[in-house]
Amino acid sequence: MSLTANGQRIVVNDVHLSYGSHAVLRGLTLHVAAGEIYALLGGNGAGKSSTMSALLGFVRPDAGTVEVAGYNPATQADQARAQIAYVPENVALYDHLTARENAAYLLALAGRRPEPQAIDAAFEATGLQEAAWDKRLGGFSKGMRQKVAIAIALLREVPVLLLDEPSSGLDPKATADFNRLVHDVARRGAAVLMVTHDLLSAADIADRIGFLEAGRIVDEAAAQGADRFDVRDLHRKFTAGSVAA
Amino acid sequence: MSAISLIARDELRLMRRNRVAVVAFALLVLLTLAAAFISWSHQRAIAETRARFQAQAAKEFEAQPDRHPHRMVHYGNFIFRPLGPLAAFDPGVDAYTGNSMFLEGHRQNTANFGDVRQSSLLIRFGQLTPAFVLQVIAPLLLIFLGYGAVARERERGTLRQMLVQGVSARQLVAGKLLALAAVAALIGLPAMIAFLLIAGQPDALAGPMAVIALGYAAYLALWAVIVILVSAMMRRGRDALLALLALWAVLVILVPRVAPDIAANAHALPTRLETDIAIQEDLRRLGDSHNPDDPFFTAFKQKMLRQYGVSRVEDLPVNYKGLLAVEGEKLTSRLFDNYADRSFAVQAAQSGLMNGFGMISPTVALRRLSMAAAGTDLDGHHRFLEQAEAYRFAMVQQLNQLQADAVTYADDVAQDAGADTRKRISADHWQAVPEFRFQPAPASDLLRASLPGLLLLLVWLAIAALALIPIARHVQKARR
Repeated sequence: MSLTANGQRIVVNDVHLSYGSHAVLRGLTLHVAAGEIYALLGGNGAGKSSTMSALLGFVRPDAGTVEVAGYNPATQADQARAQIAYVPENVALYDHLTARENAAYLLALAGRRPEPQAIDAAFEATGLQEAAWDKRLGGFSKGMRQKVAIAIALLREVPVLLLDEPSSGLDPKATADFNRLVHDVARRGAAVLMVTHDLLSAADIADRIGFLEAGRIVDEAAAQGADRFDVRDLHRKFTAGSVAA
Repeated sequence: MSAISLIARDELRLMRRNRVAVVAFALLVLLTLAAAFISWSHQRAIAETRARFQAQAAKEFEAQPDRHPHRMVHYGNFIFRPLGPLAAFDPGVDAYTGNSMFLEGHRQNTANFGDVRQSSLLIRFGQLTPAFVLQVIAPLLLIFLGYGAVARERERGTLRQMLVQGVSARQLVAGKLLALAAVAALIGLPAMIAFLLIAGQPDALAGPMAVIALGYAAYLALWAVIVILVSAMMRRGRDALLALLALWAVLVILVPRVAPDIAANAHALPTRLETDIAIQEDLRRLGDSHNPDDPFFTAFKQKMLRQYGVSRVEDLPVNYKGLLAVEGEKLTSRLFDNYADRSFAVQAAQSGLMNGFGMISPTVALRRLSMAAAGTDLDGHHRFLEQAEAYRFAMVQQLNQLQADAVTYADDVAQDAGADTRKRISADHWQAVPEFRFQPAPASDLLRASLPGLLLLLVWLAIAALALIPIARHVQKARR
């Protein structure tokens, strides 16, 4: 793995992106360093999904630069993706495979072959019940699928973790377990970027929060002290514009 | 294990775990085996029947009593077209063209008793042969098993997940194709085993068999590529299925059914009645050997008298009526040959146009290859007709020559009470008439005839495979 300038793992500089005449990112800039958890907070249409797509190399920005662990996802998609573990909001896994088979298959595609015990340990860490490990995903709830996806992302052991609405579908205990896991990943040196519209979840987990509105960061807040964030202040910032729509 | 084999293995695992796919696959294998067995037993029964009737016809011809040779010319002989071993795999046009002929003097009869004239109308919709199963049913199964291969990944969001794992769209498409190609091979395998069993007889031709195997392999591979192409182009599996079913209906059903009608309209054959009337008119123009004033036969008579140095036909050392019969048969045969050549030329033009449809439908190209290599195409039928005519002409002329040599002119024209007995010659002569032996086309001819179809199929396959490259780029851009 390689770092971008100043030890940043995710670098987004003045990125503009339009779909036809509709501009979705208008000068977006954000940096996430190794070991840092950054929450991108925004409402519907703020540009959260487009930011993810640009980081994953599915769209090419009209202007500006994007780098993930030193690679440009638009021109070096395979190299950039090899550095990323991604958990989408609507987890897409294979219903015809069991939880274990899903993990083994997707990890093998990523070139990783963890021991079965490592997969079990990851499932255990996400709080997925053991009885579900050998069941096909056809009957899994959204939360259970989320846990499988998170376990797979953890097992990737890559320098960048992208999370799209990660707490959506998780119960409070699972959310707490998940937050702990993300902290573990960050402590091991990964840069974590999560997009969410869940202010409390972001406040709970992030080191920094960026407020995304109409395709650019309009404000930022950093965790400080034991209380980390002044939630009242966050709420004021979040609802100041149209971002919470 | 590479990403391609991982993806292929997972696609096969998905099919294995899909009960509908397993049942459909098992049904196709059963259908192929049933088709192979039915076709083999049907063709064996046909071959035995034809051999039995051929032997019976020869026996009855040889068992005729002492007779005037010209009576034997009209008694005639039946011949049957024996089937080659590959006909059990692809009977081609045999069921439609007729397979037996009555050979007699003064006329060329057409082949009779095609299976379609003896069976119910159902046979017109395609016989259940291994060739039919592979040409028509196998692509349908590949469509049902593979339509969602890429479209499903896009529809359910797993495509993006795979790409994020570092899998390239090219690897994804290649893996899916590998899985479907493996299924295609499994589909083709029972048919190929049956093909070897039913066709692998001592007189089977290795070259044409190899071309048939290669052609069907290319055809199934082509369908696997087409299915993956359409699946990769469409956003939803349902759209891919509809598009593929429409494509199947056009390429496999519509074009092969409509093409012969278009060819027949473009190069129309005269009706049987029109041909018969035209032949009768031409025959009248040739002359009448019984008319003493007929200019042609008067000239012929003078020529014979000059040739033998006599002034009356009664003084000829040979029977003049026999000479007349030999000459008359030569004339009528030439006339019939002209009509047959014209008919063959029109049919060849129809075939040429029909083969051109192989550029629109790979099924047409495969049929051309399959029937040509099996020797059951129109050329094979023409080969039978040509050999039958050559045999008929030789047999009739042998009998006419017997009339000229073994029956005196005086006896031949005599009307007295004992004349009928004197006109007869020994029945031993009938045994001297050789039996009809159909000479099938040599392997080199079959190969030459089947190569254009094979080439066309390979071009289809190459174009479809090349189309996968831009389609893979299209998949790579998956945003959702």
